[in-house]
Amino acid sequence: MPVFCLPFLISYTWGSRALLKVLSSSACFIGNYRSALNDAIQAKKLKPTHLKAIIRGALCHMELKNFSEAIAWCEEGLQIDSKEKKLVEVRAKADKLKRAEERDARKAKVMEKKEQCQKEILLAAIKERNIKLALKPSNEEEEISGGLAEISLDGFHSDNATEAKVHLDADGNLNWPVLFLYPEHEQTDFIVAFHENSRFIDHLMVMFAELPPWDLERKYLPCDLELYFEDEERAAMYQLNPEHTLLQVLQHKRYFVKAGTPTVLAFVKSSPFSKKYFSGKKVHRL
Amino acid sequence: MPPPAPCHQHGTGSLWGAARGHQHAGTGTLLLCRGAGAAAAARALSGSAAGQRLLAARPAALAALLELAVGPGSAAARHAMDCLVNVSAEPAAREPLLAALPALLALLPAGPACGLLANLCREGGAARRVLGGLRERGLGLAPLLQPLGEPRPPAQLGPLLCNLSRLPEGRRGLLDRSRCSVQRLLPFTQYKDSVVHRRGIVGALRNCCFEAEDHEWLLSEEVDILPFLLLPLAGPEEFPEDEMERLPVDLQYLPQDKQREEEPDIRKMLLEAIMLLTATKAGRHIVREKGTYLILRELHRWEQEPDVLAACEKLIQVLIGDEPGPGMENLLEVDIPEEVEQQLQCLDREEEEERRREQEERRQEAQGSMPCSEEPSR
Repeated sequence: MPVFCLPFLISYTWGSRALLKVLSSSACFIGNYRSALNDAIQAKKLKPTHLKAIIRGALCHMELKNFSEAIAWCEEGLQIDSKEKKLVEVRAKADKLKRAEERDARKAKVMEKKEQCQKEILLAAIKERNIKLALKPSNEEEEISGGLAEISLDGFHSDNATEAKVHLDADGNLNWPVLFLYPEHEQTDFIVAFHENSRFIDHLMVMFAELPPWDLERKYLPCDLELYFEDEERAAMYQLNPEHTLLQVLQHKRYFVKAGTPTVLAFVKSSPFSKKYFSGKKVHRL
Repeated sequence: MPPPAPCHQHGTGSLWGAARGHQHAGTGTLLLCRGAGAAAAARALSGSAAGQRLLAARPAALAALLELAVGPGSAAARHAMDCLVNVSAEPAAREPLLAALPALLALLPAGPACGLLANLCREGGAARRVLGGLRERGLGLAPLLQPLGEPRPPAQLGPLLCNLSRLPEGRRGLLDRSRCSVQRLLPFTQYKDSVVHRRGIVGALRNCCFEAEDHEWLLSEEVDILPFLLLPLAGPEEFPEDEMERLPVDLQYLPQDKQREEEPDIRKMLLEAIMLLTATKAGRHIVREKGTYLILRELHRWEQEPDVLAACEKLIQVLIGDEPGPGMENLLEVDIPEEVEQQLQCLDREEEEERRREQEERRQEAQGSMPCSEEPSR
């Protein structure tokens, strides 16, 4: 609340005109429309036919985006003077902005509905393929029904842009964001859109066409790599056949997609690191 | 507009009894009893055309009824007023009723007063006098426009405004730029609560569109008439996003339960209003720019009524056709050679006849109101 207005509010002995002038103009000048509005309301109470107060009030409501109230104030003023130019003008503007606001609300509703619809279609496609999604907070094994609220397809990786989400392409195929982990070097690779019918080996051939800079020992050749996914609940590792498609892997009975991003671990065949990593875990090889 | 539906009439026996009584005693004497019963009897009498004629031919009766109607006292005044509304449909009643114009105007904006004046204003001279009376009171059309700000204005207000708008003076009042005037009518093109009111409003708007000088103002943001004319014609059909963004905001993202205007005559008047707005080049440009064609395209797919379809097609032609040559900037003012004029009128008459014949074949019992479809006077 602007400090220098406070003393003036108390002295209602001022003529309403002077009072209004000081209050509203200074408050508006500072840009504090809400307090200016209150002042206009007070002034209107003192003298209901005070057109200037009504105009100020209407303008304040405009600035505060209360378009219905702005129109109501204009109507009040126009009852007193139906030719008041400013009021006719403001009423037209407020009406227009109100209608634009109504459009925005309608649009938001339609977009939300569309999004919801697309989400349902997506989840139906996932369910149809018998792919299991893990609930976000827990690691519990739970069959996911169509319940939309619980399903989280949101990526948990902050740098992989939340835009990367599983989606249906024009041919009705799912494309997933897939994360490749290389525990040995604590490195990762991220495929933004892995087509469900494409094979792992094909991706590996491209990914490791040039050996990555962190592969100092030059051993991460596509044919020497073994792929696994981890079943944390059972402390088990399941080996994947690189000749399999993503869909086949996702349909593995112990595979749960967490946070909407399938994750795969890659090791070099028979490497000492992999042996160490697997100790204490139940490993299901091909 | 024709009179509102007659008030409920009592059994025929009492009607004839009352009529005979009136013939003997003179209706004036009967009504001077000032009972609600007497006024109610008159009201019952006015329920038929014969009764209306009877009352219309008795100035004394009318004077007595007027006195009751404009005076205090609820039931008697109401009955008397209802009676007069019915009687006002009769041309013979016009003069006696107009004699009480100041008193009647003072009753505005009450529904029955609007109804009575609406009936009187079906005749141009009477309309002129009503407008004059309003002018004399110094308020112009304000007493008629003010109630439009309320959520439920009287249903007869629409017909009254429509009939007044048939005169240039009436249109001037509605197109007053210094006030919030025609803007007040716009929301009522979608008004569900009363067909009569809605029909009247649309008729008034259509008549206003005859003023070519006001087209640019009507189409501008100060009034923005076009979306309100298009909205009742739009359905729930979805448009692809690029088409949607071209439409006026009021027509974007309409809900899936959006229904079109049910009354074919109102749909036709809306199309005629838009057609009038395309008379000037500037108007055509704006109407085109706002994606009108998209709405009409969908309407055309849905429309079943032949004359509405014809109006729709005509308008689509204008929107997608070539621009007319020089000297034809305002189609409302083009000089049509005498012979061509006559030929066109002849063709129009034939077309009308054809349509009327088809309609008669399909027509059921005629309902109350008909559109205010005659050309406004120049």
